[in-house]
Amino acid sequence: MKNYLKLVNFEFNRVVKLFTILLGITLVVQMAGVIVQSREYLGRANEKMNEDLMSKAQFLTDYGQISFAHIVRSVWFLGPIALCAAGVAFYIFLVWYRDWVGKNTFIYRLLMLPTTRLNIFFAKISNILIMTLGLVAFQLILLPFEALVLKWMVPDDFRNDMGVKETITSIPELTIIIPNSFVEFVLYYGAGLLAVAILFTAILMERSFKWKGIIAGVLYSAMAILVLISPVLLQELVLNGFFYPMELFVIEIVMGIIVLAVSIWMSGFLLKKKVTV
Amino acid sequence: MKKYWKFTAIIAVIVLSIGTFYVNSAISADQNPEFVIKKESGDTKELEPLVLEGSYQGASSGNYVSRDLKITRQGTEYRNPSFLNRLIGSPMPVIESLQEQYRGFMRGKSPSENLFFENDRFLAYANVDYEIGFNSRESKDYTFEIDILNKKEDSTDSFTMKVPDANKMDHVFVDDVQIINGELNIITENMVRDNNSDRLYGEKHIYTIDMANQKFIKHEPIIKEPKGQDNTHFDITFIEAEGSTKMHEKLLFLTTEREVIKDRESTRIGDTSREAISYNLKTKEKRRLSEDLNLEENEISAFDGSAIYLTKVNGQKVMVTPFHLEKKQLGDSYLFQLSDKPMNEVPPLIKIKDGKLYAASNRMNSNTTASVIVADLKTGDSLFKGELRIKNSEDEIEDYDLYIHDIFVK
Repeated sequence: MKNYLKLVNFEFNRVVKLFTILLGITLVVQMAGVIVQSREYLGRANEKMNEDLMSKAQFLTDYGQISFAHIVRSVWFLGPIALCAAGVAFYIFLVWYRDWVGKNTFIYRLLMLPTTRLNIFFAKISNILIMTLGLVAFQLILLPFEALVLKWMVPDDFRNDMGVKETITSIPELTIIIPNSFVEFVLYYGAGLLAVAILFTAILMERSFKWKGIIAGVLYSAMAILVLISPVLLQELVLNGFFYPMELFVIEIVMGIIVLAVSIWMSGFLLKKKVTV
Repeated sequence: MKKYWKFTAIIAVIVLSIGTFYVNSAISADQNPEFVIKKESGDTKELEPLVLEGSYQGASSGNYVSRDLKITRQGTEYRNPSFLNRLIGSPMPVIESLQEQYRGFMRGKSPSENLFFENDRFLAYANVDYEIGFNSRESKDYTFEIDILNKKEDSTDSFTMKVPDANKMDHVFVDDVQIINGELNIITENMVRDNNSDRLYGEKHIYTIDMANQKFIKHEPIIKEPKGQDNTHFDITFIEAEGSTKMHEKLLFLTTEREVIKDRESTRIGDTSREAISYNLKTKEKRRLSEDLNLEENEISAFDGSAIYLTKVNGQKVMVTPFHLEKKQLGDSYLFQLSDKPMNEVPPLIKIKDGKLYAASNRMNSNTTASVIVADLKTGDSLFKGELRIKNSEDEIEDYDLYIHDIFVK
């Protein structure tokens, strides 16, 4: 356990730069988005009211109040989120391959550590999870501050205040990263973790057998997906809806756990016996 | 420990931030108003079995919301759209209790009340299955899927039967399933293709099946859309009886014929004539009821298998008149005062159960009130009279609508 924690901490320190950069970009771009968009809105209000001599009430009925939902729906806001997602996706591969390339192959030292090699796998997958959740948590903290900036920028009459929860539930794009209930949160990120475990196994296959390993990795991933969706396929095509929805749900979770266990076992096997430096 | 500070900090931030968010959203109360049924006269105990299902639409801090809800004697319960609730779905109460009681038999069966029949000996299910062809004009090979549970022997009989003349049909829907005198009756709506005019005609069809030998005894159309009338629109509706899983000897259909007037510029609907037809499953005879029912003035609001309940809205008053199919005559009418404020001319929702009539208005907002009434059908006495209200007066808002879609009596 202690070895595992040491390794996680070690891995985290290696990604902390990338992580901080992503946080920084999110903070700056989103804040800029809030400011730019509220100014744009106020500018339009000024123009309509001063130049076109539109009354304030008329402007509000024609253009509506500005709410945080308007800001969230823009590239200023969703762009950094997409960038962070891409960053994590990229790092899923980088977390392994960076150890093989470079002047002195780092993986050699990692594999020589006096601990079970599966800990390397666990440390890397934990890091992906920590990074992802860290970004989500940061977004959750950032939201009320951004709403505050909007409050400073726009006068009361032109503004429709929304709480954090309201903002998230009213925007489907945000419910993907922050689901409405904790059960869904666990399921979404559990599924994500499973996907990363399958990918890691495929990467280790490639590292162990090179070109043949790529084929093995693709086959393994396809098999894993097939096993995962097999209960649904059976339910629809063969069993004619035999299972009640709740039963199917439990079967799916069991399937997920089985595939996760197989991926971990397979990765452990590859790390111990097959991986080459 | 100093070595681990970044790592410890990020874990703490994750747990605190995400934890606070979900804890907050779990404990923050629903901001939508709570509706209650406020008593005006009578006994609130009469409300015990009543469930009003509807939806609330309103503006909460400038944000448009629409939420499904249930109103009972206890108050309002907003349907919680949580992930697990959505996953399980919410089948009708009848289906839910059947699923609890006969879990094995109910597997893989479409959860519609009209596909089931239950008496003390049998639980029967019939539905139509078909292969999807490559193009819609191909015949679809319609088959009845029939499952009959014999409750005493605890055995299930499952068989399939090809729908006769299926190659001429475009759609087959099951309207009702009934076992009468040991024979299984499946009542369907068929869309039949007429080869000469290349048009589809609707019809209500009955298939009578010998359950022991799994053979058709007889099948015939009950009502057919008349052919060759291109300037009318003809529609046949099956009126589902209260508790359609229970045995009913009599079925009720309503046909609507609308004249279609085609001008050079537009098409509009002209005169409409409606006709109610009852069908006796024992004698296989049908009877027109139009003169007795006076459908020009009355609406059919409910049918409990032996009586049809007609309603007529007149200002704020609703007149309910039962028509007894056996005696072929109208019963005494009851007049209900629904609400004091002006209301729309839509008749209220009516349910009949165990000799009691339950009625509720179908809409409420700040200009109209919604009434809830329970009355004894034998005596015509009102057992309960009340109004829907928002529980806390400080929750009163200007702009909202409450729609009641359906009422259930447990």
